[in-house]
Amino acid sequence: MTDAADAEPISCVQIERFLYREARLLDEWRLPEWEQLFTDDGTYLVPPVGIQNAATADPATMLFLVADDRSRIRQRVLRLMKTSAHAEYPHSRTRHQLTNIEILADDASGTRVSAYFSTHHIRQNQISLYMGQLLYTLVRLGDSLAIREKRACLDLDALQPRGALALIL
Amino acid sequence: MILHNANATGYVDVDRTRQRFRVDRRTYSDPQILRREIELVFRRCWLYIGHSSEIPNPGDFVTRNIGGYDLIFLRDRAGVPQTYFNSCTHRGSTLCREPNGNAKVFACPYHGWVFDAQSGRLRDQATKTGYPADFNSDHAYDLRRVARLEAYREFHFINYDPQAVSLVEYLAGAADYLDMVADQSPDGMEVVAGGQQLFTAGNWKLFMENAYDAYHGVTLHRSYFEFLDTRVAAQNMVATQAGEGFGLGNGHGAFEIQLKSGRPVAQWIPPFGEAAKPKIEALRQELTNRLGAARAERVAERQRNLIIFPNLVVNDNVGVSVRTSFPQGADKMMVYVWAMGTRNEDALLRKIRLDNYLTFVGPGGFATPDDFEAFALCQRGNDLTPHAWSDISKGMTRDEDLLLGRADFLDEAQMRAWWAQWDRVVGGAKP
Repeated sequence: MTDAADAEPISCVQIERFLYREARLLDEWRLPEWEQLFTDDGTYLVPPVGIQNAATADPATMLFLVADDRSRIRQRVLRLMKTSAHAEYPHSRTRHQLTNIEILADDASGTRVSAYFSTHHIRQNQISLYMGQLLYTLVRLGDSLAIREKRACLDLDALQPRGALALIL
Repeated sequence: MILHNANATGYVDVDRTRQRFRVDRRTYSDPQILRREIELVFRRCWLYIGHSSEIPNPGDFVTRNIGGYDLIFLRDRAGVPQTYFNSCTHRGSTLCREPNGNAKVFACPYHGWVFDAQSGRLRDQATKTGYPADFNSDHAYDLRRVARLEAYREFHFINYDPQAVSLVEYLAGAADYLDMVADQSPDGMEVVAGGQQLFTAGNWKLFMENAYDAYHGVTLHRSYFEFLDTRVAAQNMVATQAGEGFGLGNGHGAFEIQLKSGRPVAQWIPPFGEAAKPKIEALRQELTNRLGAARAERVAERQRNLIIFPNLVVNDNVGVSVRTSFPQGADKMMVYVWAMGTRNEDALLRKIRLDNYLTFVGPGGFATPDDFEAFALCQRGNDLTPHAWSDISKGMTRDEDLLLGRADFLDEAQMRAWWAQWDRVVGGAKP
């Protein structure tokens, strides 16, 4: 699915453009399009809050908030688009903001990217702020990029003010 | 037969002729009622603090807020669990600031008072000048212990009331349901790393009612069952489920159902995959050998949502989760959540267990966010309409003994048992 390993390395500009578009798809509730950004083996992970090793923690041995494989990412999107997903109906408004985008490594599994995020979530007169670090593994897919892993490491000590995490970070 | 009739507080209205059980909605919002709950419920009932597996080695500790007090729960050098108030006896500063760890001593960051983790004894005050030689000979400045700490099958509970009945007596019929969790492995159970702490909208009692309310499942969680339908025939599974809800004495209650949704211990279903089949069948055989056929069948084939009054929830479903809810003011709650697995569990079975947790009970799953939304909606609806009553009548008969009632699992007998005890205890009776 990815081009040959000897292709041009993915540039920071390409990554920025890709991640900003991802953020906009989420904010515009274009979740079925967002879901298409993942590779067939893509994963979306949110490690537990309040731990020291969120970047390396393993969902097989630790209780994560979210540990979606590709099919569960799809199910998450299908659910969120229904009016029976009560926690997000009526839909919230969100702003997924990214800064401090850095390429950490480039290897066989893809390009490892770190970004700081702050996602503002506004729903029924309550403003919630989720902040932390996003760790991506990105790969080339045709002319564009695709997400092999998205790991959202929250800086919160405890999940609040909403005790649940229905939105996609 | 003497039927328990809740009427001590005036907030629970039982009308046997109409088969009607109602709760005054001020109980979800009135700060005066919350004060009475803290004083009469949380200061006098047994409260779950943690599981043995969370502090396996001498010196291991976790810090937790239990019923409004910050506590240190630790295992001492002799292997005995202890519970201290997490506050320096000098000026009151919070002593231990880590959520968990291993400690020989706790040193106060303010003036350097040092306490032995094992004995709670004051060992040092950074500088001892100005104190008499026999300072603390009466142990007045040792760490303060919580009045009572007792365990049942590795589930540890504290009680702030020195006069409280023993934990086993308090647990009454609920003890058997903890047995059915603890018995799932010959090595016992363990808490999976990554326990969660949540703060969310709604009175703490909304969480309790929800945790063994099967009635709301098909409506509120429709999207969860539609998701499940992509993996198993969930609609058929739900249509064929059967069971009862009941009080277990002292306000405890449960529902127990027959449900073909699979369990790592020990009910294999095709979506778990062929690789899991022999593993689960072996566990089932082990259960039968150890517990006998009937008990093994009950442990492995049925599922239980248990509440131990006032605030412990044990969901013994596909996997096992343990949750507690505490008030944070009348209209907010703090919730602790842990997932449990068997000790030395096979990696594949652990994954099946955590997958179920992640999709249902977990705060990022496909069901719990909607429960939390329901708490917020109830709180808002209660707060922003004139005084009214909540109805908990479903399945009530004219001669129901409220503390020990029994009805269909889709009814509300288990909730009536909880509220009947709430009424007794908030009305001043000894828990």
